[in-house]
Amino acid sequence: MKLALSLTARLTLLFVLLSSSVLIGLGWLLNAAVERHFIEMDRSLLEGKVEVLERLLASPPDAQELQALDEAVLDMFRSDPKLKVFVRTDGGSTILAPPDLSFPDQAINRKQVEQADVLFAWSEGDSRYRGLATTMQTALSDLTPFLVVVAINIDHHERFMERYGRTLSVFIPVAAFLSGLLGWWASRRGLSPLRLLQQRAASVTASQLDCRLPEESVPRELRGLAHELNCMLVRLEEAFRRLSNFSSDLAHEMRTPVSNLLTQTQVALSRSRTQHEYQETLASSAEELDRLSRMIADMLFLAQADNGLSLPSIQEIRLHDEIADLLEFYDALAEEEGVRLQASGQASVRGNRLMLRRAFSNLLSNAIRHAGEGGEVRITIAEQSKTVSLIVENTGDPIPPSELPMIFDRFYRAEAARPRHGSTTGGLGLGLAITRAIIHAHDGEIAADSLGRRTRFHVTLPRSAAASAP
Amino acid sequence: MKVLIVEDESKTGQYLQQGLTEAGYTVDLSPDGVEGLHLALTEPFDLMLLDVMLPGMDGWQVLETLRRNGRDMPILLLTAKDQVEDRVRGLDLGADDYLIKPFAFSELLARVRTLLRRGRAEPEPTTLRVADLELDRLGHRATRAGERIDLTAKEFALLELFMRRKGEVLPRSLIASQVWDMNFDSDTNVVEVAVRRLRRKVDEPFERRLIRTVRGMGYVMEDEPEA
Repeated sequence: MKLALSLTARLTLLFVLLSSSVLIGLGWLLNAAVERHFIEMDRSLLEGKVEVLERLLASPPDAQELQALDEAVLDMFRSDPKLKVFVRTDGGSTILAPPDLSFPDQAINRKQVEQADVLFAWSEGDSRYRGLATTMQTALSDLTPFLVVVAINIDHHERFMERYGRTLSVFIPVAAFLSGLLGWWASRRGLSPLRLLQQRAASVTASQLDCRLPEESVPRELRGLAHELNCMLVRLEEAFRRLSNFSSDLAHEMRTPVSNLLTQTQVALSRSRTQHEYQETLASSAEELDRLSRMIADMLFLAQADNGLSLPSIQEIRLHDEIADLLEFYDALAEEEGVRLQASGQASVRGNRLMLRRAFSNLLSNAIRHAGEGGEVRITIAEQSKTVSLIVENTGDPIPPSELPMIFDRFYRAEAARPRHGSTTGGLGLGLAITRAIIHAHDGEIAADSLGRRTRFHVTLPRSAAASAP
Repeated sequence: MKVLIVEDESKTGQYLQQGLTEAGYTVDLSPDGVEGLHLALTEPFDLMLLDVMLPGMDGWQVLETLRRNGRDMPILLLTAKDQVEDRVRGLDLGADDYLIKPFAFSELLARVRTLLRRGRAEPEPTTLRVADLELDRLGHRATRAGERIDLTAKEFALLELFMRRKGEVLPRSLIASQVWDMNFDSDTNVVEVAVRRLRRKVDEPFERRLIRTVRGMGYVMEDEPEA
């Protein structure tokens, strides 16, 4: 199982680990430095003594003075009880040895000292010594040369190091604990903006989606997070608004036909009627219900489109062929309405044939409806380097600029189109919304403009890679 | 012709049963998947209407089991969900057609007739006749009472559809889909206009009207005099 430590605990642990390892390392470094310093101190002391001895041994001219030499040396070392000296002839006879200390064998049983500057240490009883061995030429002709070993008791150093070690072993845990405490406090303080974000996020509900996280008052590192969360809230709010608009639109749009149906049915039932009257009522109900049913289907289509439309069976579509089919479909209607239809240009796109056909059909039906008697609908297809454009242009009363941004909204109907309580999809006010959803699903764009007596719907679709019109 | 309806919504089931019975079929109704499957496995049916959302055993399972057991009558799925994946799944499992609720009864009836006709695969005659109206499919000629009628290609296709499905009420959406290949809820005014123009040529100059409007449902071609 993975242990889920809190951020504070992690940071605290990290602080403790970091501070104790730094302190231990530092302690070890200091320990080594002090140790080295002590050795240097001992060395200079011992070398000083060796120098004095060398001078003493060099001065006496004959053997008679050997006794005096002994005395002089002993005097010199006796003044400091920590200092010990051992002198031996080359031949192996000991001239001078301290009574209370035996020197290590490898220090005294050798003929020649190769490295005169190497210090060595050893323990004798409870005490510890550090020594320096050297060979010396003397003025005493028959006894030359001497092996001289000087040593010093270093118990005081050892005691110092021991105290130092003890201090460290207490200090490091205490310091680690304190830095852990500090780390805990610092991380709690450092993370407090997160708690602020948490509180604010907890207050976001469906009815309060306009609530935003404080981007300015949080530290810089969290600003990005707060900003992204806010962006998410904006998107959610937008989606939520769409959803609730959808519900209210739906309820509103269904109320009228349902109330018509109800009234009509109840009136029909209120007294007995002829068979013909019943048939009329039922047929009228069927028409109204058909309208409702198509509205529901269209609304469901749009609801799916809001969640991203999936496009099955993508294929190469020759727009001019599609438009030709649609023109054939609308031909009779246009003729009855006194509208001329024209198409020009050619291009290909990739997409779902049924959906694109539906999108263009809505545009065309819309254009014919608004062109009016004697009007004209012109479709122009053109290829650009990366896009394909399809323009559906109709003559007729323009759309007021204030209404242009709304024409793709669900249930938007131009006032002029409203009275036609007809049986057309366009009459439901969903046609253009569906067209836009389909065009968007094909990564395209649709825009409308209206100038003078001309209204244009401009569709832009990505040009199909393989497409180059024959 | 025996039709089995498996539908758990009792009102829908009853109306479908009534509608199909009145259209001349013998109809059995089953309210759940298990019973429906049992019926379909033990009795011969010419067609099955299968709701997808069923208690006990859903339509997918019923469909799969039937096909696995070698039952090959046409099956028309009814569903409230319009998901492309569902449609594909249904057809993959061996359904023959697919209708999304809410649907018009006339649409359902038209599909049922198409499926049953497909099963029979009888060769279509080259000359269609309704009363004194004649349509030569090979020669692309239509005559009524010996008089040649001048038709555009789409008018010809529309008339052919009416004559082939004489006596059936054809909903506007079916006409748009069959004649113009507009397989979505398109502007049905177009169908009205097209039928009006066809009537002007085929019916109006003559005494007997053959194309009749059935309000709220669609159009039908009949050679019986109107009641």
